Amino acid sequence: MLRIPCPHCGARDEVEFTYRGDATVTRPAPDAGVDAFHDYLYLRRNPRGWQVEWWQHNGGCRAFLKVLRHTVTHEVRGVATATETLEVPEA
Amino acid sequence: MSAPEPIHALAFAPRGSLGAAPAAPLRVSFPARDIVQVMLRRGQDAAFAEAMRGAFGMEPPAPGHTATGQDATAIWIQPGQWLLTAPRGVEGALAARATAAFTGFAAVADQSHGRTTILLSGAAAREALSRGCRLDLHPRAFGPGRAASTPIAQIGCLLHQTDATPSFELTVFSTLAEPFLHWLIEATAPLGVDIA
Repeated sequence: MLRIPCPHCGARDEVEFTYRGDATVTRPAPDAGVDAFHDYLYLRRNPRGWQVEWWQHNGGCRAFLKVLRHTVTHEVRGVATATETLEVPEA
Repeated sequence: MSAPEPIHALAFAPRGSLGAAPAAPLRVSFPARDIVQVMLRRGQDAAFAEAMRGAFGMEPPAPGHTATGQDATAIWIQPGQWLLTAPRGVEGALAARATAAFTGFAAVADQSHGRTTILLSGAAAREALSRGCRLDLHPRAFGPGRAASTPIAQIGCLLHQTDATPSFELTVFSTLAEPFLHWLIEATAPLGVDIA
């Protein structure tokens, strides 16, 4: 069970949240071409380590949050609102 | 012209006492409420706060908190959104008041029929809620004037502590009020409960 510290509601259990995928992908420009959109839609890094992810707190404040989670240890090291940015550690 | 008074979602719920009756049994009641959702427009925070002070005599409460004015209570529900609640009055009057006060600063939606409030009161209220609620409601972490949205027994619930008895107002979608009440009766009956 993850405990995610929501910046609005405080620490809440994982069951209140919905995982919404990698938060680092950015939509290409409208004229970037089919290959760029293919990569944007389908290709993910799937790292073994730190990843910034979208989690929606739909059991509480309903906000989309960025969460810095370690994919092996499940440690949550940072949470930010949608307009903020989270730095991914090197290791 | 006035619309007929709607039937309360829990009008036909069972009443009476259940379980052992200790010194201070739990009390469950169904206060009729007017409920209005207020959704702030971007960048209108200061104007909205001014309008709230003028019309309802209170500041918009901070996240996780409530504020009480002359005749209404505001509950923070999510960033930029609040529920205004007041004892049941004339159909639509609270929404009309809010619309008049907040036009240009916030959108207003009458939720009086959409949400139902259940009041749970008594010394063992925290113990009963702990059977389905994941939040820490101990006085060191929660208290009167605090509110939280959280699933209770898998049902999305707005939890709002009104006094130190403790008393909690549990606001759920009206369509889920009956199953929620069934769970609440299961959770409170072993401790002794009066349903009024």
